Amino acid sequence: MPPEALELLVIAAAALAFAVVFAPATASRRALLVRGGAGLAGTAAIAAVPTLDLALLVLLVLGALHAAVAGTRSFAVRLRPPVIAVAMLALGLLLVRVEAPDLVARFGAVGLVAGMAAGVGVLPYLHPIEPDEALTASPVAWLGFIGPVLAVVLVFRAQGALPIQAGGVFGGMLVGLGLLNMAWGGVAAWRTADEVAAWRYSFVADWGLVLCGFGLTVADGQRAALLVLAGLLAGRLPLYLISRQAIREKTTTRRPINLVVAAALAGSAPFVGFGARILLLRASTQIYWPLALVLALVMLLWLPGSLRLGRSLGQPRGRQALGVALILAVNVAAGLYPLPLLAAARL
Amino acid sequence: MPSAVVVAPIALPLIVAAAIAVFGLAGINLGRAAAAAGAWSCAAALLAVWVPIRSSIELVLGQLGYGSALDLRIDGVSFAFGLVIVTPVAVLLTLQPRPWADSAIALVGLAASIAAVEAGGVVLTAIAGGTAATVGVVLLDTEDPDAQRPAWGFLLSAWLALALVGVVLQVGGGTAVYSAVPVSAVTAPVFSLLAAAAVLASGLLPWRSWPAQLWTRPSLRAAGITVATLFPLGFYLLVRAYELGDGRYPSPAFNVLLSVVGLAVALSAAARAQAVATRREFLAEVVPGFGGFALTAIALSTPLGLVTGIVLIAVASALVACLALLPDRAGIESVVAIAAAVGLPPSVTFGARVLGIEATFEAGDFLGLIGIAAAITWVVWVVAGARAIGLPGGRGHPAAETFPLVATSIALLTLSGGPALALLQSGFANPVAGEVMRSTAGSLSGGLTAIGTTSSLLPVVTLFTPLLVMAVVVYLVTNTRAIRTQARPALFPIPPTPIGERIRVALRGAAVPEEYRTVFSFRELEAAAARGNPIVWIVALAALGFAVTRY
Amino acid sequence: MIQPAAGIVVWLGASMVVVGDGRRGLAAGIALSTLGLAVLAFVNAGPVAAAAIAAGGVTAAARRSVTGPAGWEVLAPGSTPRLVLCIATALVAFWIADAVTAGPVASLRFALMTGIALSAARVLSTAEPAAQLSASAVVALCAASVGAIGSSQPGVWPYVVGGLVAALLGWIPTRSPIAA
Repeated sequence: MPPEALELLVIAAAALAFAVVFAPATASRRALLVRGGAGLAGTAAIAAVPTLDLALLVLLVLGALHAAVAGTRSFAVRLRPPVIAVAMLALGLLLVRVEAPDLVARFGAVGLVAGMAAGVGVLPYLHPIEPDEALTASPVAWLGFIGPVLAVVLVFRAQGALPIQAGGVFGGMLVGLGLLNMAWGGVAAWRTADEVAAWRYSFVADWGLVLCGFGLTVADGQRAALLVLAGLLAGRLPLYLISRQAIREKTTTRRPINLVVAAALAGSAPFVGFGARILLLRASTQIYWPLALVLALVMLLWLPGSLRLGRSLGQPRGRQALGVALILAVNVAAGLYPLPLLAAARL
Repeated sequence: MPSAVVVAPIALPLIVAAAIAVFGLAGINLGRAAAAAGAWSCAAALLAVWVPIRSSIELVLGQLGYGSALDLRIDGVSFAFGLVIVTPVAVLLTLQPRPWADSAIALVGLAASIAAVEAGGVVLTAIAGGTAATVGVVLLDTEDPDAQRPAWGFLLSAWLALALVGVVLQVGGGTAVYSAVPVSAVTAPVFSLLAAAAVLASGLLPWRSWPAQLWTRPSLRAAGITVATLFPLGFYLLVRAYELGDGRYPSPAFNVLLSVVGLAVALSAAARAQAVATRREFLAEVVPGFGGFALTAIALSTPLGLVTGIVLIAVASALVACLALLPDRAGIESVVAIAAAVGLPPSVTFGARVLGIEATFEAGDFLGLIGIAAAITWVVWVVAGARAIGLPGGRGHPAAETFPLVATSIALLTLSGGPALALLQSGFANPVAGEVMRSTAGSLSGGLTAIGTTSSLLPVVTLFTPLLVMAVVVYLVTNTRAIRTQARPALFPIPPTPIGERIRVALRGAAVPEEYRTVFSFRELEAAAARGNPIVWIVALAALGFAVTRY
Repeated sequence: MIQPAAGIVVWLGASMVVVGDGRRGLAAGIALSTLGLAVLAFVNAGPVAAAAIAAGGVTAAARRSVTGPAGWEVLAPGSTPRLVLCIATALVAFWIADAVTAGPVASLRFALMTGIALSAARVLSTAEPAAQLSASAVVALCAASVGAIGSSQPGVWPYVVGGLVAALLGWIPTRSPIAA
């Protein structure tokens, strides 16, 4: 199992435990535990299997089981993304493995990248979302819980399977999709009418950073991607869970805690997002410095959306307030001193 | 002295902040005493570390994870800026009552700001400075979420730009540690980014920016703290830039450009100050005005200019505390504060500005013209100050947070401190030049009673002391009760809607022509992207496939 | 000869899943795909792999034959575009497998490309859970066989797991969406 995947699994398990303990009163803890546990088991299986072929099969099962969870979207709509993801990944693997001209391997890389995007639920393969759907049945489960480990496994294994010529294409496409998701996610989180969609797009924007990090095939890029994924699991996802009650009640507040949460979501110092951004800028400077400038400019797009999301948290009280404090504390610690996280993943 | 002591100025306010927060959550308000203890202990730690040895002390611990080690340093520069930051904060935390949460947040902001000036490298400065900016915004919002505060994107972009500078130096030069960066790594584009970050970090813009806007808030408790912790940081970056470049900027054009920017800031602040309707609005322009003059001086690339700029920043920081404690009413305290702000003789400001103008002439060429323009700007400030004495006070801030005696004392200190200018420069500012302009700092001379320049010697004690005596005598013999001030018209009017605001209004009102709206409609695009339309998915796959054939 | 025939049988099976709307048509499609893939697995990976594919596919087909819309409903009115898709996919896959790519397992390449592509298209184009799950079962069986591409000794585990997954998919409950 790749060490990054193992580390993210541990963080995902912690996020699940957090969700069960600190979920709002209106959320079913039992459902969270059962479905979250199943998701975690499936994700662990994806990471544990020795080959990419087996990982695809596990993904297919996980996708089908997730589609079967009770939700407001139809079964057909929810089954499509994982099956398409597996299909594109399988085709991509096939094209990468055959003896063929370079162009075929490039198309294989396309299949792998597109498959990963479809599996996670980022542009151009956004999963349809319904505002009233439970978290465990919604696309955010892919973006924020299953997706991180899935992406790490796919990238790690795909890089081993790709020939050298296609490797550059793989990285380039990841960077291109990453920029697209950053820009779209940043703008959409701000402009979209619905709060749930705004949260979803904020995940998409962070995934843009992840894709860029994976695409920049230097160590700092991988480190940046890992930090962002850890931030997704240990920050954005729990905060989204806590905010769901306020979103349902359509309450927004402008207290200092909302601003601090907005700062964490926007990736400002001293939170983990800022450290990730520094690493990403380092990586892009090593590869192609104008990209670093573009990235720095696009990073500013997080701000208006984050302010909105911070307000949508409402005013957490009691257990939720403690939960928010815990999330912020962990984020600050990881932001100021990310070395243990990176060392655990051997990066 | 063990190198771990450099952590003390950062750790002490944090420890006190944690204690305040813990007790506060338990329902016990530790009050001003605790907050004051946190801030003054920081100041004491700085003095205790620097004064005995007056040379750099550095602590380097392990790697943090983004190419930077935890590298903290107290040298002449960090000492000077550290004092500039902590002193007004300590005064304000000691005197002004505030809720425990505000005290804790203010101390965290102080610690972050001190960490920014103690950081040994660019990346760490970016992280600490970004933290200070975030905390500053949170503090302002905690006090009053509806009042003016800096645009957060504005502040974040500054520290993000600095982070980019840091990583470029790491990649291109192998390190971002101030004392170790190869001069060749500090190229013109890198410096441009650093200068932009500095200007944005301190809000040094030729239009009304947050250093002025904050002073119009209903309460000035958080405003004073925020300006004190954030405003000096941009100047800190420009001073460290000299260290990066071994005593100079990559090109003389940068010196000219930054000096012009500084002049524009000072002049625009003066122009606004002379046209305002209330005394509070005039005083709001004082800090940007000082910042403009300081920037002009620092950017000259001469030791004299640098130390002059440092002195001006120190005076500005004192006036931050003064302005936050000053009540908005007519009286001697306002007159003294305004006199200190505009730089009447024999104030420290007067001496520093004279030296700054002389430094421009000594720098020569185009910079001499800037000196002339600076002198004209100063004249506008004096006229604005004279006018401001007769203006109504303004909205006013709560009396509980004003301390007229202390405010007057601070203003008097700067007003009468001219004779001590040489002492101030020698003890406070010269070590800065010695740290960042090692090869040319030796040109600074004069001692404790006079300041030597390239072309002359300014005997501050013998020159300013009689002026001070004369000023005291004039005050004593004048019947101030007989003075009747009246509001005077502005020297020149400022358009009611600045050009920037007009551009903003025009941009907001811009709309895509009707026939193209569906193409650029965000709602339509979002619906198309998020509906999960199979056609979109297939087309996206085809587009990716096409893209790789072009790669 | 047997491998090309097996490849064509896989394509026929996948096409049946595409153009069939009733449970019998879908079950027949799964069964045909299973037959072709099992033969190819036997040739490339051995009897255990073939048995795993066969067992999983047959189970999936059996399950499908009793759940879903009644009847065959093969080539129902309005299915012409789907038929055209099946033929076009076969032609393109044949070209890629035979002319563009090289190697000894051209039939397997053809089978997998048609199986995966047609199944994915079916999943995208239908809202009927039975059809989607049938197509997903074919995807599982094909994905299990991808390991034989570019490898002279593919392990049996992908085939075993693929068979299991294909069998399991038939038992996935397909609830109607709940009201918000």
